[in-house]
Amino acid sequence: MLKTLFLLVKMFIKSQMEYRGAFIVDRVAQFIAYGSAYGAIWVLLYKFDTLGGWNWPELALLLSFQLLAYSLGAAFSFNQFKNFEELVRLGTFDTLLVKPISPWAYLTFSGLNIGYAGHIVLAVGLMIWALFQVDAIWTFSSGIYFFTTLISASLLVGAITTMIGASAMVLVRSNYLFSIYFGFWELTRYPLNIYPAGLQWIMMTIVPLGFINYVPVSVFLGKDVVVLGSAAPFLSLIAGPIVVALAMLHWRFCLNRYQSGGG
Amino acid sequence: MRYLAFTTSAFQTRLAYRGQVWAQILGELVTVFAKIAIWVSIYRGIVSVDGITRADMLTYAILGGTLLGAWEWPHLVNTISTQIKTGDVAVFLLKPLHYPVMLLHSEIGNLGFKLTMVVVPVVIITSSVYGLLPPASVFHGAMFVAYWLLSFSLLFCLSAIAGLLSFWLMTAFSLEWLLRSLISILSGAFIPLWFFPENIAAIIKFLPFAWIGFHPTAVYLGKMDVGQTLLYFLIGLGWMLFLAGIVTLLWRRATQRIVVQGG
Repeated sequence: MLKTLFLLVKMFIKSQMEYRGAFIVDRVAQFIAYGSAYGAIWVLLYKFDTLGGWNWPELALLLSFQLLAYSLGAAFSFNQFKNFEELVRLGTFDTLLVKPISPWAYLTFSGLNIGYAGHIVLAVGLMIWALFQVDAIWTFSSGIYFFTTLISASLLVGAITTMIGASAMVLVRSNYLFSIYFGFWELTRYPLNIYPAGLQWIMMTIVPLGFINYVPVSVFLGKDVVVLGSAAPFLSLIAGPIVVALAMLHWRFCLNRYQSGGG
Repeated sequence: MRYLAFTTSAFQTRLAYRGQVWAQILGELVTVFAKIAIWVSIYRGIVSVDGITRADMLTYAILGGTLLGAWEWPHLVNTISTQIKTGDVAVFLLKPLHYPVMLLHSEIGNLGFKLTMVVVPVVIITSSVYGLLPPASVFHGAMFVAYWLLSFSLLFCLSAIAGLLSFWLMTAFSLEWLLRSLISILSGAFIPLWFFPENIAAIIKFLPFAWIGFHPTAVYLGKMDVGQTLLYFLIGLGWMLFLAGIVTLLWRRATQRIVVQGG
């Protein structure tokens, strides 16, 4: 089983590396694009010093945490599930169902995206710089917390993306859900405390993207967390695993209801 | 007028997927809302910064996030590069029409759809919540319309250049991301040039990107007097003609190079 998955990953990487030059140029372009978007936020902070009580190094940590969690989670989900509705619509998904391997595992590992290399280099670089700039007391437990919540956040990204894509099994079309998702995604670039209370609640419950960066980074920096208060440290650790469990139930539910779209 | 059919056809194609329009509206609404929340947060307890009031900035965020970003330019980059790569472009070379002009008309159809179905509802909703200032004067209002058309034309030329360059560089992906990064910081659609460090703003305001977001909104808000408004319009027009010239040149070179294989 593991050997098969490993082989799938290896083959996909090989196919992506077919045009090595274009692959590298694409990664550089993404690096520059995210860098410019962050540059715009830097300009804002250069002028106004803080945004919702966060200074530039703190915001840089918020942004890099989001980007790293996103790249790690999306490598296991986005590329695979953004076109999942096509697989359903054309009936290609049916051919996966008869393979002697879990269709989820096949999809995920046969499309494991190494294209996030540019994101990861930028995220790690910015994160290291930010960690040296912010006033945070490093202890053994805060280090463990930082690392664990990063994993939890990555799981959350992967699980939500998978859930949206998998909905195509029931709804046939699911890509429009991605446009809503990326709308909310935009909100995680800034500290949640600048939004009205209603929106803060949404970002902690129905669309739990607040857990991707705002909650863990706030806890790490010793800031007050809106909505959650003192429950924040614990909830940020379990948010990822909980959503993963939901995604597994959702996947099973969709698969049971799936009636094949192609033909 | 024979090109008008491409406009209506593009509009009707988009209309076929009108069921998902609500998702687009929601996604767009949340994105604009994020920008508004930033200015609300920054202007808490402040009346004006460098002569720019809170009401100015809310109007700026609504216009910059909706009207001026209405056209989905990556669609053009991808259309050109796909049609060149697959050889579909040959079909248009056989017809008695000019390919770039045809693309322009088809994109006007896409823009028309986005404006009527998504942008207008989003502007109405956001401005009824946060208040949209009227144009500074009738002159500024009329010039805003002219600037807005110029903004679309410039963006069209820039995207067409990116799409045509993929002919030589073989990767539309990185060109799209590079253009995205240039627009995100240099257009001023998010952070107006007033808030940039002065020496940087002095350069950016003369680059063509500034006519995509910053200058049109500045005119709307009456931050330029009559003379300046007309002068900058002429400079922008000059950029547009220059870029249109590059599009024509690239297109001519591309058609000379084209070798369509297979059929």
